[in-house]
Amino acid sequence: MSLAELIRTSVRGVSANTLRAALTMLGIIIGVASVIAMLALGNGARAAVEARFRFLGANQIQISSMMAIDDGEMVSAGKTLTYEDGLLMPEQVDLVDRVDMSINASIKARFQRATLEMNVLGATPAALESMIGAGEVQPVDRQDGEALTLESYLAQGRFFTLAEVLEHGPVCVMGSQTATDLFGGDDPLGQTIWVNRNRCEVIGVLAELENVDESQRYRNNPNLILLMPISTVIQMFYEDEPSVQMTAFITDESRIDEAKAQIKQYLRTRHEIEADVNGEYQDDFNLTTRKDILGAQQEAANTFSLLLAAMAVVSLIVGGIGIMNVMLVTVTERTREIGVRMAVGAHAKDIVFQFLLEAILISVGGGILGVVVGILSIPLAASLNQGMALLQPSSIPLALFVAILVGVLFGIYPALRASRLDPIEALRYE
Amino acid sequence: MSDPSRVVIQTVGLTREYVMGSAILRALRGVDLAVQEGEFLALMGASGSGKSTLLSLLGLLDRPTKGQYFLEDVEVSSLSRDELATIRGRRIGFIFQSFNLLPRVSAWENVALPLAYRKGEFGGDAQRKKALDVLARVGLKHRAGHQPMELSGGERQRVAIARALVTHPAVILADEPTGNLDSATGEEIMSLLTELHREGRTIIMVTHDMNIARHASRICTMRDGILIEPESAHVPG
Repeated sequence: MSLAELIRTSVRGVSANTLRAALTMLGIIIGVASVIAMLALGNGARAAVEARFRFLGANQIQISSMMAIDDGEMVSAGKTLTYEDGLLMPEQVDLVDRVDMSINASIKARFQRATLEMNVLGATPAALESMIGAGEVQPVDRQDGEALTLESYLAQGRFFTLAEVLEHGPVCVMGSQTATDLFGGDDPLGQTIWVNRNRCEVIGVLAELENVDESQRYRNNPNLILLMPISTVIQMFYEDEPSVQMTAFITDESRIDEAKAQIKQYLRTRHEIEADVNGEYQDDFNLTTRKDILGAQQEAANTFSLLLAAMAVVSLIVGGIGIMNVMLVTVTERTREIGVRMAVGAHAKDIVFQFLLEAILISVGGGILGVVVGILSIPLAASLNQGMALLQPSSIPLALFVAILVGVLFGIYPALRASRLDPIEALRYE
Repeated sequence: MSDPSRVVIQTVGLTREYVMGSAILRALRGVDLAVQEGEFLALMGASGSGKSTLLSLLGLLDRPTKGQYFLEDVEVSSLSRDELATIRGRRIGFIFQSFNLLPRVSAWENVALPLAYRKGEFGGDAQRKKALDVLARVGLKHRAGHQPMELSGGERQRVAIARALVTHPAVILADEPTGNLDSATGEEIMSLLTELHREGRTIIMVTHDMNIARHASRICTMRDGILIEPESAHVPG
């Protein structure tokens, strides 16, 4: 028989009892859907990690306060991670090159008659370097290929110094738009503006900046900005010492674990954390590297994937056994048909292929429906796994291959049994 | 058609024994049979006489325990299952008591079934054309698209006969072809077989009904696994 004829025959065989075939497919549907969802979770976790990587480079360590819940509120578990912890870190810790941190406050800036309601950004002396490092904004008049220098970000004056930060200097650096809005055309340098009820000297004006990413250009204006020393912002606008999240940049990324240990040591000293009787430290801060995120993310995804994999394997086996069962029933029901086919010249191979193909049709039918169900279930899987599930395109052919494999594995025995029937017995079968 | 003296079937000491637990059932005890081309042979006998066993052996659905079977001068008793299947599909046409048509398959597709198993020889169109030709021969061309469920008993048997004819076999083996039909329809089927015989077809028919057997050109009787050629019923067709 030609393949087309075989397929036609098998389709006819399956469609003779569609309800039975559909019920038999259930196991395969669940199994294949699990495979799709499982791979989507793995893929989603990977995508999520990659997304995080964009914010956390391989040479970065994120430092934050350990939080605890006290009376329903999130509070620092021990001592607050202060801006000073970060500010002094590059000097005290060998491997730390610089520390990025910032803090926001909503303020009203005034110069003579002009007022602006805006956010002030409490920054470190390294804020410009961070800006360059992040690569999100650049000077408008930058020539292509021209190296970005600290100077190119400043139009006038200077940035604040470490000394100014340490002594809460009442100084500020403003964006070009802010300067225009407050001073009209006048020179802002050396002038004193009011920030809420505090006087603040303008020591620098930034160059006109634009977002590198064009799609971001209309979203936020990098020129409407006011920078003050982080210490000054905290002193002027915060009642309590806030906990500051910071990112330490390591000079040598291959020594990140060493750097982590050094930072730990440094913070333990500053926070006066000593080993308890068991020699363990009750740290009040968290250090996170790219590797840590990868590990945690993958662990979560792996646990879930494992569950799904187990479900997939169990349902595929159950589905396969269902197919085998139905095929054995079919072979028995159609014993006479098999006898007739043998009488008119069908070889054993023809019979095997016919029934194997029927089994494969059922499993592939289940596989296709399983792919559909799997894709539809991805949002559900995502909601159970912190929103991380993304269809992996290659999982579709894989799932269908698995379905075919199940059809072959569990269809071969009934098919072989059919082909080995004695033609006389088969023809006489009632 | 061709040389009437040509021997299509020749068996020598054909024996078939079944092992039933510790006992051995001797269904055939050495049958010597020669069937010439164009003969219409009726095999009679009581049930258990071995006539069905003999027909199964002649139809290559089974292999003898002992003895030789020459089909068109080829010794076939020791061929493999698949080799037997190939010969069945090409040289033997079967007609069964219960028609044995495939359900949910149209008449013409049932007729074309033996052609479908001859790999690469007949395309779909060729199969259909041949099947329709043979259906026309048995007077059922107008029912070609109907499924067995939609046909009467007589029509079903005609479809089965068409299926047996479609490969131009060396011999047509009919096992109680009228057994499931009323006598009027049975007569119609027998006259069709008689016509085929007149056209030169070789037919071997198993029956226990003398009224049916009398259509044959030669009648043999089986008893206890042995073939008896009666002198009386020898009526050349």
